[in-house]
Order: sequence, then C-alpha cells, then structure tokens
Amino acid sequence: MSEPWPNQLLQNVRILDPVSQTDRFGDVWLSEGTIQAVAAQIMDWPEQTQIRDGQGLILGPGLIDLYSHSGQPGYESRETLASLGQAAIAGGFTRLTLLPDTLPVLDQPSGLEWLQAHIDPNWPLRWQTWAALTQGLKGEQMTELAELAAAGALGFSDGQPLNNLALVRRSLEYLKPLNCPVALWACDRTLAGEGVMREGIDSLRFGLPGTPAIAETSALAALLELIAVVQTPVHLMRVSTARSVALLAVAKAEGLPITASTTWMHLLLDTTAIASYNPHLRVEPPLGQPSDRLALIDGIKSGVIDAIAIDHTPYTYEEKTVPFAEAPPGAIGLELALPLLWQHLVETQALTGLELWQALSTRPSQCLGQATAAIAAGQVAELTLFDPQRSGSPSKSLSKNTPWQGDLTGQVVQTWCGRSSAGFQSASKDPKR
Amino acid sequence: MATASWNRHHVLSLADFTPTEFNTVLQTANSFREVLTRRTKKVPTLQARVVANLFFESSTRTRNSFELAAKRLSADILNFAPGTSALSKGETILDTAKTFWAMGADFMVIRHREAGVPQAIAAEMDRLGGQVGILNAGDGWHEHPSQGLLDLFTLCTPLDPEQPRLELLAGKKIAIVGDILHSRVARSNLWSLRASGAEVHLAGPPTLLPLEFANYGAKLHWQIEPALAEADFVMTLRLQKERMGQHLIPSLREYHLQFGITRDRLRLCKPDVKVLHPGPVNRGVEISSDLMDDPALSLIPQQVTNGVAVRMALLYLMGSGRV
Repeated sequence: MSEPWPNQLLQNVRILDPVSQTDRFGDVWLSEGTIQAVAAQIMDWPEQTQIRDGQGLILGPGLIDLYSHSGQPGYESRETLASLGQAAIAGGFTRLTLLPDTLPVLDQPSGLEWLQAHIDPNWPLRWQTWAALTQGLKGEQMTELAELAAAGALGFSDGQPLNNLALVRRSLEYLKPLNCPVALWACDRTLAGEGVMREGIDSLRFGLPGTPAIAETSALAALLELIAVVQTPVHLMRVSTARSVALLAVAKAEGLPITASTTWMHLLLDTTAIASYNPHLRVEPPLGQPSDRLALIDGIKSGVIDAIAIDHTPYTYEEKTVPFAEAPPGAIGLELALPLLWQHLVETQALTGLELWQALSTRPSQCLGQATAAIAAGQVAELTLFDPQRSGSPSKSLSKNTPWQGDLTGQVVQTWCGRSSAGFQSASKDPKR
Repeated sequence: MATASWNRHHVLSLADFTPTEFNTVLQTANSFREVLTRRTKKVPTLQARVVANLFFESSTRTRNSFELAAKRLSADILNFAPGTSALSKGETILDTAKTFWAMGADFMVIRHREAGVPQAIAAEMDRLGGQVGILNAGDGWHEHPSQGLLDLFTLCTPLDPEQPRLELLAGKKIAIVGDILHSRVARSNLWSLRASGAEVHLAGPPTLLPLEFANYGAKLHWQIEPALAEADFVMTLRLQKERMGQHLIPSLREYHLQFGITRDRLRLCKPDVKVLHPGPVNRGVEISSDLMDDPALSLIPQQVTNGVAVRMALLYLMGSGRV
C-alpha cells in the first residue's frame, strides 16, 4: 500500500486547514513525508516531481477516527485488522482508534502487544487503542490502568455504559496522574430497558420498543456532576439528544474539562428513517428525533460537540439479516462517513467545509489529547485528498451493514501519513467528472 | 364482485388505506359472508394457487382463520411452524421466505413477534420479481391489518347488514380500552376508525397509553368513565401478564378494578352498546366473565365468524387479476 515517494506537487487544490482556520486555493509540494511548501502558486520544483492537477479536489488534514470496533481478534468474519485498516485508509483516515470489545477483550498488556504485532507499520495509518477501563468490560473492577498506559494504550474506555457511579468516580480519581484520555458513554440501562429506537411518535407508530432520551440525559447529568468534582478530563462519546447538547453547553460554559462527540449516523438520519425497518438503522444510542439531529448539527457548528465519531461497527450478513428489534446495534462507516457527510451537510450548507473537516480531524485529535499540525511548510504530511464529485462504493470492509447501498458521491483519492501514502484509482469506469 | 378499485399487492398496514379500499374490503367480505351461509361454502377463485402460512409466532385463531379462508377459496395451503423449522438451524427469516417462494407460493401470510418482518419479506419478494403477495397477520406491536378490517366489518354490519360501509361509523363514539401501547390491534383499528370519521376515545393507565397516541386523532383518557360515557361500541384489548414485571401496572387485580369492562360500567354507555375483543380473552381481567358470554352485549363470536369472510376478501382482492 505504501508507494515509492516522489516529490509531489498538487496544483490549484482547495486547502482546508483547521489550524489556521483557512479555506483557500493553492499549490502544495510534498516530499520525504513532509510538506515542503504551500503557496498560492509554486513556481519552482525539482525534477522527478509528480504533478497533479488539484482542480475540484480538497486537501485537508488526515481524518482521525475517535472510536471504532475491530472484528479481529475474535470476530474475523466481521472484520480483520487488514480489512479494517484498508477501509479506514480508503475512507481518508490516518489514525484509527480501536475500542476494546474484541475477543479476548483488550484489558491486558498482552492484548496490546498482540495488536502491535499484527498491524503493518508501513501502512499510512496510525493504530491506537482504547484499552478497557474495567476488567472484561464487566463494569465491576478497574483494569490495571497504569500498566496498560505504560504498554501503549492511548486511553481508556469500555465503549459501553457504566452504571456503577462509584466505580466511575474512583477510576477518574485513579487516572489523574496518568494523563490519558477517558471516554464514557452516558446511558442508563435501566431507563433504556428493551428499547430499540428513540421513544416518541415514530416508535409508537412503528410498534417498536422505545428508549427514552432521558436514558442518555439523566446519565449525562450524573456524569457531569461527577466530573465537576473530580476534575479529570473526560470525553463524552455518542451524544445523541438535543437535551444533551444543552447540558454540555452549560457544563462547558462552567469550565468542566470535557469534550464530546456524536456519531456521523446521528447527524444524517433520524427516527423517521426507521419506517423501512432496515436493521442497519438499529444503532446505539438510537437515532434521534428530527429535532435531535438538528441540535447535534448546531452543536458541531458551535463547538459544544467537538467531534464526529465513526463508531464503525461491522456485523456479518447473517447477524444483521434479522428483524429490526433483534438486530445487534451498529453499522459500518469508515468508507462512508466523509462522502455522505460532505454531500448531505456541506453541499446543503448546513456546515461549511471547514467545520465538517475539523470535526473529523483536528477536533478528534484534541479529544484524544494529540497534537495537530497545520498544512504548512515543514510539517509532517498527514493529509487526505478528497474528490467530492467522484463516485464509488465502499469495498474494503468485510461487512456490508449500512443503510447506504450502492454508489456514493465523493471519494478519497489519496492519503499521506508521514512517509507512507495510499492512492485510489476511480472504482467507477465512468466517473462523473 | 367489484375489484376495479383494488391494486394493492401486499397488505402490511392500514395506515395508507384509502376510504375506497376500506369499502371494497367491506363489500367483498359481505359477499363472502353470504357464501359462507350456503350449503356449498367453497368457491374456486384461488384454485391451484398456494397460500403459505408463515407463523413465526404461535397463533391459534388467526392462523386457523386464514387457513379456513384459503380453503374456502380452494387454494392449497402450506403451513410453517417455527418449532420444527430450519430457523433453529441458522437460516434467516428471508431464507425461510425464499424457500416458500421457490416452492411457488402465491401468498404469504406472516405473523412475527417483531415489528417490520412482513415488510422486510415483502421487500425481498418484490426484489425477486414481485409475484408473491404478503399479508401481515400481526407483527410485534405494529399492526394486525386483517384484525383491524374484521373489527371494522363487525362494527359496520349491525348498522347496515346489506351494505356495510365505512361512512356508517361517522360520528359514532368508539372506546378502545386497555393496553394500547403494546397492541398491534389498536394501531390497525386507529387507522380504519380515523378514516371512518368515528369519534375514537382511548382509555388506559398512562403507562400503557402514552400521550403521543393523540397524534392518531383520538381522545385520550387515563380514567375509564369519560371514555365509556355514551359510547356506541367498546373495544377491549388483551393485557399481557408480563406487563407487571415491567413496572407498567401494579397488579391484574388493580387493572381490572380500574379498567375492567363490567356490566356496571357499561351503563355509562348508550343502551344498545356492543363490546368487542380480539381474543384470546383473560376472563376477569379486561372484561368480566359473564359479559363476554352475553349475546345482547358481546360481538366477540361475530368477530371470529367475520374474520374468515374478511380474510377471504383480502386473499380474493390480492389475487384478482393475477391468475
């Protein structure tokens, strides 16, 4: 997947740079895994330079996945590390952050070592891991957090609701000296009950058990109270309701050390879509009401919601070809998120290109406590080149569990991550442009 | 029998039924009701056609009612019982449906404990060429259209036995009492009654009657008396006993005290009030035991009888023009 690295010159490309908050056209010269120059027009370049006309293309920082599920180890029929990595790269991601719910669970250093031994370091992708916060993801006892941090865990998350607040409190206290990010999902399982979609007019009409919004908001309010006292920075994942956005706005105004994300699916779909009973629309937290979706988009705009997570969750055909209520929650997203978000939020002017791109790149990296580089001379090349007009369909993930089947408009054409790079030829024989 | 006003390939929900479609079903069912009183109760309409009963959830009355309806129309019947099926061997519901499709089923009558399954199978059958008509025989809490239609027929026929039609119910007060939240029957009834112009009142405890039901154009009552006052018809619903474990009601006893239909309570209604229940009845819970056996008040046996005629009408209408 890594290509021999020539000098590359992108001419007249649209450059989205969240660090400098600029959206401009220009030329970019890349060499040796580094950005050599960025200018309105680059007049001089060395011999042996590959020149690419960037007209119609968008160059931004590499996309950063906040949390996604791997199939391997344990569920290789859903996704292997190879297929997951290829899907991430094809989707424009240069960093991928795995949740620990593999089999075995990533709750010991040996699991992290196993992962490191099974990924290809030459790919243009940085693999990082949320190690489990509790042993076996059972929500009962802390993992050996310090040892896991020393073994290379990026941060800690169960990726599941923790309903034992005493455990959450002690974990957050214990984590203070480790300086690792912690991600928590606010959800009260007793209130969520047997719900499979957001409770409301549509759940009533479709005859499906509802999960009330308060299953999220009451748990979120409790967590915010806890964070206000303990003061350990926390990332609140999978925010899905309008009321949560309001609670987060207040908490941020008060200066709580929090960041928050919603998932890309919650920005694009709401309960009305479930009229089809398509099992791929069964996600957790469930898709919100139309008003929730609009509040989440506003939250991205205002920054109350820092980032858009992919929460890529592969399931096999057999696992998902069941009645809606019996389907395991989750959908794939790595190859779909950027094209669909661009098409439905940027083309419709709900968000600017810069707002979307930063919510998928620099903002997630801030949530993870990582540095973000500007698109400027001297910086390491961690970049994604996107063609919003080219059509293609996701093909790398082993699983196909998504409500979007068929061709999408918008494709990543190349990514760079340091000295590694991956380019993608048009999958479609007759590209639109 | 007029079928010109029918071009519905599947019957999955009553939400988008037009008044004309409701009336076509009522008129057709009335003709079949007449057929069922003859000495020879069978017609050759669906000869050599195959009706597959796919009851993923067990059912006695609905399955037998569909089976009898299909037999009266001279169709061949395939019955599917999940206990003995390949479902337990790892096959998906779509695989099961495709097996019956490959055998040449013309109709699939589908019952499933989860909402949306008949719709998913209908979509798959359409993808395979659109030759199979799907009838929803009850999916989760979603809908039970044939029950909704037989209830409609049972409500209309006493008002004009010669020509039962939707408009007869305009302005009639109809109370639906009980566990509305979990009832697919109530949801189908709400669509047909709304189309009729009847005045629909829903009654139940707030845990079983969320406010959002007002969106169906019904009036909601958390006490039973105002719902019953001057009602022309009272439709009761089955209460599943597991609702107590879900913190929805304290006990069956209290439920009966608060919402059970008794002779005393029926005095609040119009003098000629009639009571319906989709069955099976929890005697002494939704309705007092003696009441359901009183022919002056109960339309429950008529519902069962009419069920066969209405299901014949549905199969007939769905099969017409595709012989």
